[in-house]
Amino acid sequence: MSGLSKIAAVIGVGQSDYVGDYARVRAGEKPHDSYGYAAIAFNDALADAGIARDDIDGLIVGPTVAYERVGEILGINPTWGAQADAMLAVIEATIAIHAGLAHTVALVYGNDQRSAAIQYGGPEAMGGNMFLSYIYHAPWGFTSQGALYAMMFRRFMEVTGCTEAQLGEVAVAQRLASSLTPHALMKKRITVEEYLASRYICEPLHLFDYCLINDGGVALIVTEASRTKKLGRKPPVLIHGVGRYDMNRGATSLEPRLLDFYRPAEERCAEQVFNMAGVGPKDIDAVQIYDSFSCHIPLALEGYGYCRSGDVGRFMAEDGISLRGKLPVNTAGGHLSETYMQGWAHQVEAVRQVRGECGERQVEDCRFVHYNSDVAGKAVSIIYGK
Amino acid sequence: MTHPRAVLTLYDQPMWQSIEARKWELQRCDGCSKYRYPPAPNCPHCLSLAYTWKPLSGRGKILSWVVFHRQYLDDYPPPYNVVAVQLAEGPIVISNLVGEEPKGSWIGREVEICYEERAAGTILPKVELA
Repeated sequence: MSGLSKIAAVIGVGQSDYVGDYARVRAGEKPHDSYGYAAIAFNDALADAGIARDDIDGLIVGPTVAYERVGEILGINPTWGAQADAMLAVIEATIAIHAGLAHTVALVYGNDQRSAAIQYGGPEAMGGNMFLSYIYHAPWGFTSQGALYAMMFRRFMEVTGCTEAQLGEVAVAQRLASSLTPHALMKKRITVEEYLASRYICEPLHLFDYCLINDGGVALIVTEASRTKKLGRKPPVLIHGVGRYDMNRGATSLEPRLLDFYRPAEERCAEQVFNMAGVGPKDIDAVQIYDSFSCHIPLALEGYGYCRSGDVGRFMAEDGISLRGKLPVNTAGGHLSETYMQGWAHQVEAVRQVRGECGERQVEDCRFVHYNSDVAGKAVSIIYGK
Repeated sequence: MTHPRAVLTLYDQPMWQSIEARKWELQRCDGCSKYRYPPAPNCPHCLSLAYTWKPLSGRGKILSWVVFHRQYLDDYPPPYNVVAVQLAEGPIVISNLVGEEPKGSWIGREVEICYEERAAGTILPKVELA
């Protein structure tokens, strides 16, 4: 199954000034709104690609901004357009290119979630209109997406024997990565002991298991693989494979979380993406995982076959998931320590690792990077490579 | 912060009426006899639109639990627990364990449904160790 393999390539990536804007927002300023961040990132991506705005004929915007308004602000009248989250934006751009609906697609995201004080828990929890589980159990005080993952991970710990200290390896590894990433928000490294001493938010999850909330924007430029000889100033990064499998059945009563740990979704998704790319877990040099919470990482490592089922606690602690370990995960620090761009910055980091432009945090001889997410049981994978 | 509101779709309303009467009922499919939660227009297993509201036995088993240490809602000052319970009828529900708490792991402990009056005068189903 070649499917969408090597049909499209990323030729440009861009982002806003996470560090500067974080400081300004914390000081009470409002540097930009979601559209401003999106525009900054788009300009940055165009410059990175070395192409002109009018080379763009496809536009996908993130879920936090209105499609038409972004197109209006950026002055893009495309032959094809859509609205999607980070992972589906990359897949949909690839599909559109494959179908000939567009040749060069801009993927643009902006989010002023911190300065706008967006709530992810409580009576006005974000996302409740999309995922009933985020709000349905609020009468019992069960609110916030972190609590849903805490409930899932508590059972996972019981079933597999994975400990809190082993889960702490995620926060520790990603802090090491962010300390080597100039644009990351969190520069101070932490130890497992400091992790264990940090306060619980929803036990068994600690403060360091939760993602950051910050403002920012991200953009990617995706074009036909055959055009990359003429278009783009850096080596193109090809999309080698994509995969998806959604567990919707029983979602609100948390069945796929609590009974299956979303494992069937990840296994089906893994089969698709690895078959399409013609590679397997052993060929992957770095993994980017959507980490609204740290426990996404152990669940994904088992689900995608990076370690044996039930062995992930030992794998994280002994084989290692940091830049110094056997399998580097979230090499810029991820949502926990780099920036919370809802999966968008993970795509950028995957591209930069394959390009080999990551400086101190560069994974040696990086040929393939596997991105995956399992947000609310919707497993999505993308393999980027040379 | 405010009080958490229950989601009240057309299909939720009869369930909350049964809870107010301290006799929690869920829909049982007339086609395949499976119970479903949350309430829904049809059976997700066999797609039958025909159902009957049936009272629960009140028995269940804890699948997992968490303890909140952060306050999100006025009604729930931390620390407080939330449990996921698989009912004897099959569906998984979310609730709070009241009364005595187990030592060690809570998972697998048998519980029974009980009812608690909330500040707003509404009844909420909770569970206690069987």
